[in-house]
Amino acid sequence: MLTDKELDNFIICKKCDTLHRKIPLHQGGKALCSKCNTLIYHRDDKMIEKTLALVITTIISLMVAFNFTIISININGLEQSLSLLSLFSVLLEHQQYVVGVMFLFLIVLFPLMMLSSIFFALFFITIKRYGYTVRRLLILLSHLKHWNMLDIFFISLLVAMVKLFDYAKIELGIAFIAFILTLGLELTITKNINFDELWRKYENTYGDNYDKE
Amino acid sequence: MIKSSNFVRCHTCEAVNYEYHGKGIFCRRCHSRIHQSRNISYHKTWAFLITAIILYIPANLYPILITKKFGVQTESTILGGIIHLWEVGSYPIAIIILVASVFVPLLKFIFITYLLISTKYNVKSSRIDKHKLFYITEAIGPWSMIDVFVVIILSVLIHFSGVQVFPGTGATSFALMVFFTMLSALSFDTKLIKKES
Repeated sequence: MLTDKELDNFIICKKCDTLHRKIPLHQGGKALCSKCNTLIYHRDDKMIEKTLALVITTIISLMVAFNFTIISININGLEQSLSLLSLFSVLLEHQQYVVGVMFLFLIVLFPLMMLSSIFFALFFITIKRYGYTVRRLLILLSHLKHWNMLDIFFISLLVAMVKLFDYAKIELGIAFIAFILTLGLELTITKNINFDELWRKYENTYGDNYDKE
Repeated sequence: MIKSSNFVRCHTCEAVNYEYHGKGIFCRRCHSRIHQSRNISYHKTWAFLITAIILYIPANLYPILITKKFGVQTESTILGGIIHLWEVGSYPIAIIILVASVFVPLLKFIFITYLLISTKYNVKSSRIDKHKLFYITEAIGPWSMIDVFVVIILSVLIHFSGVQVFPGTGATSFALMVFFTMLSALSFDTKLIKKES
């Protein structure tokens, strides 16, 4: 039987489930799976600091994306604009409650929860306090990552714009740019963040005292 | 002796854990459940999958988009919308919608059914391929929501007194269908793949 410390030297590829022994990397190095070439882990000594900065920026730009006009169209003088708020009022007006609730969760709540839990988890790890909360947040994050559909919403936005292109004059709002920014930042965060590393940091920082709750 | 089949990856924190056959395991690091009893996971996945397949029928039969032009109401289903887009000449959009809302759900149904049946009856095929197939199934899942989102966005933008577009029953059942296929993929247990080796 191997101890937990020894088990930490192994890693399993998320794509093809092959077991690997970890090798030490230099700063910025990447380790690929020997069977399917997927990126398994990488080393970044400043991961927490970088991600914290990115998350704060992302939350600000997400706020802009949620509150301002995304696009507005003009058909022969008739104007109509799209923002998240108008989206819900229209969905309620058409009595599409199921779609409305799903939309609320997938596009608004889950991305917000994801970003804020990354922020708080990293922040608490940095100040070395609230170990139990960090654990809950890290577990929450692993469940949330399947349910964030912000990127899909953006692609749908592009599809809808192309559909309207022939009939209407389309103007991009400030939230559209904020959306692109948010998605770019979010992609960088998900590429940068290393959950295995975070969990190990959590264990090193808080030890076993918080674990038994 | 270190053998790959003795270890299992925690889905929550990615830690490597020992595998104890036939027992439910809790992760050593984050204490979340890695495996349920084999049967629970197997039946749960089937249940969600069947729900999704049933919902796929109204999603295709009922209109996903209803257009009201000066009192005249026209309805279009998913396939009808794709055919219309193709006839109008927006081929890229037609292909995106076709892939996202027809192929992706069908592929997911086929993949999950294959994974369930092949693990139950120990069909001979590479274990690694099955893991990859599962990974792909998980990754492509949410992309079928594109059509629903497009309909929602259009219904907000085309909302004048004369002309109105709004989502129909098809949109609701389609959204629910995607939801249940995702649940089905999430409840599939990779241990089912492992067991045969």
